[in-house]
Amino acid sequence: MTRRAVLAGSGVVAIGAGTAVILGAGTRGSVGAKAGQNELVLEAGKTLASLMGERLPQVPVWGYNGLVPGPEIRVRQGQPLKALLKNNLDEGTTIHWHGLRVPNAMDGVPHLTQDPVEPGQAFLYEFTPADAGTFWYHPHQRSFEQVGRGLYGPLIIEEADSPRVDRDITWVLDDWRMSDSGQISGGFGSRHDAMMAGRIGNTITINAKPPKPLEVRPNERIRLRLVNSANARIFGLDFSDIEPVIIALDGQPVEPHTPSSPLLLGPAMRVDLILDLTEASATRHEIRDVFYSGLEYSLNELVYAGTPMRSAPLQHAVSLSPNPLAEPNFANSDRHEIRFGGGMMGMMSGRKSGSGMMSGGMMGWTVNGVSATGHVHDPIITTPQGRTLVLDMINDTAWWHPIHLHGHSFRVLSRNGNPTQYREWQDTVLMSPQERVEIAFVADNPGDWMFHCHILEHQAAGMVATIRVN
Amino acid sequence: MNLLLKITAVLAAFMAIPTLASAQEAKPLATIFKNPQCSCCESYGAYLEANGYPVKMVATHDLALIKERQGVPAGLEGCHTMLIGGYFVDGHVPVASVDRLLKERPDILGITLPGMPTGSPGMGGPKSGTWTITAVAPDGAKSVYKRY
Repeated sequence: MTRRAVLAGSGVVAIGAGTAVILGAGTRGSVGAKAGQNELVLEAGKTLASLMGERLPQVPVWGYNGLVPGPEIRVRQGQPLKALLKNNLDEGTTIHWHGLRVPNAMDGVPHLTQDPVEPGQAFLYEFTPADAGTFWYHPHQRSFEQVGRGLYGPLIIEEADSPRVDRDITWVLDDWRMSDSGQISGGFGSRHDAMMAGRIGNTITINAKPPKPLEVRPNERIRLRLVNSANARIFGLDFSDIEPVIIALDGQPVEPHTPSSPLLLGPAMRVDLILDLTEASATRHEIRDVFYSGLEYSLNELVYAGTPMRSAPLQHAVSLSPNPLAEPNFANSDRHEIRFGGGMMGMMSGRKSGSGMMSGGMMGWTVNGVSATGHVHDPIITTPQGRTLVLDMINDTAWWHPIHLHGHSFRVLSRNGNPTQYREWQDTVLMSPQERVEIAFVADNPGDWMFHCHILEHQAAGMVATIRVN
Repeated sequence: MNLLLKITAVLAAFMAIPTLASAQEAKPLATIFKNPQCSCCESYGAYLEANGYPVKMVATHDLALIKERQGVPAGLEGCHTMLIGGYFVDGHVPVASVDRLLKERPDILGITLPGMPTGSPGMGGPKSGTWTITAVAPDGAKSVYKRY
């Protein structure tokens, strides 16, 4: 059985080279893709979703093509993609292709790289993905509400030589703040959320549905792509006895390894796992989210069902071919210190970084002492194209921050002075409170690029900056 | 206990210490809803315990919903939300105001000290500016309950 014939989810469409395939989470909705073309239409608008399950009323959400998550876009690495965004919302929007190294004008940052796409208007995104991997797309306009109400979708760039697996499954993890009346609670962008951990919900979904146990067969090999599309929730996944192997982080291949437990997945981060389901004696595996102390819960279960996929588990290890990323050149590099500050309990860090609370009020979050608003700012760094930047990032706050750089992937060199074991490529790096993280990348993509916390309330409250590549 | 004693000692120098008589009265349970990652709320709970209140800490992601249900006005939220004796007490309110609330039992929903002012109970650092405790009436009307 080939991988292509068994792509996970309903609405499966067989693919061929050079085809954009749209996989909806359900069967509703026109997907706007034409077979044989890497062209698709994404209509942002209001719709309904069964966030609470089929037995409860559907919930008003915002989605693409009537779907949450939006259609799963699958294209082949190196093949051009055209996506026409049509805006049926009551407010302006854009699409950011998170993690893809697109030309600046296609990056989807309102006011910085394009005008917002106003209601009733459209915008054509055109680019050729250089990197294979697991990415996602979402608005960058008022993202704390637009993403929070459901505007996001997975974006899978397929390798020319994808590893052989039995099933390729995408789980977009999200949480929703549901009110007592069964609706999405208002109050997006509240200062209280913004100054603490961001807007964290009370209802967990996988692909915008209540988690449903995944049936697996003995000796089956699954590629599980996890995308954290939550505004603010960090997942800390404990896979109990499954022992998954990480093959990619944020879409970029990494030396295959078993994750430390729990596996941390901050907002906007992705991980590709290989699951070899070899525990013939077990009947089920539980996946728990243990990140928030005292609020641990069971995310989902894998349940053995059916006859063995084969008589013995697959033995060959899976590894991915590297993407064409420029290796940092430390002989031609500049080093910059970046200090993140602000938020509740800021003063408790005992540093004078301009952070902390005023009496009775709240200051914002800061990057190098500046709490920026909007999307257009004076760059904190201006660099000639082709130069290597080493960013020495200091989280001078009492809170976690997933820091995202647009237009580039970077190597994570060290944490608190200790070299990382895998020097992983990421586009979003999760920093724990008071942590110091060193990253490096070749600034090879010209333009003004956002550099911000992907807890979307933190971004809106000032933890955002611009890096300019001339 | 060392930490509690230390906190008590520090606060005693700065705030009203409960009298022996009031400390001996049975005090109602203080249920404190808090963000799971906020440490100052724990310090506030310890402060209340040191002042004779039984305290139950509850970690939750639903602080915003809890505040909404209790009628804490938007923009005047404190760090955590405490339910005690039928009232909400939001944020790092000094115990003198909690004692007074429970003694006088006014016809209000609760009281709040917005944000996390430095120097307030459970927070570190020197006292900053004036703290205004706001009382919220059942119809949502706001009034000054106490200034520190």
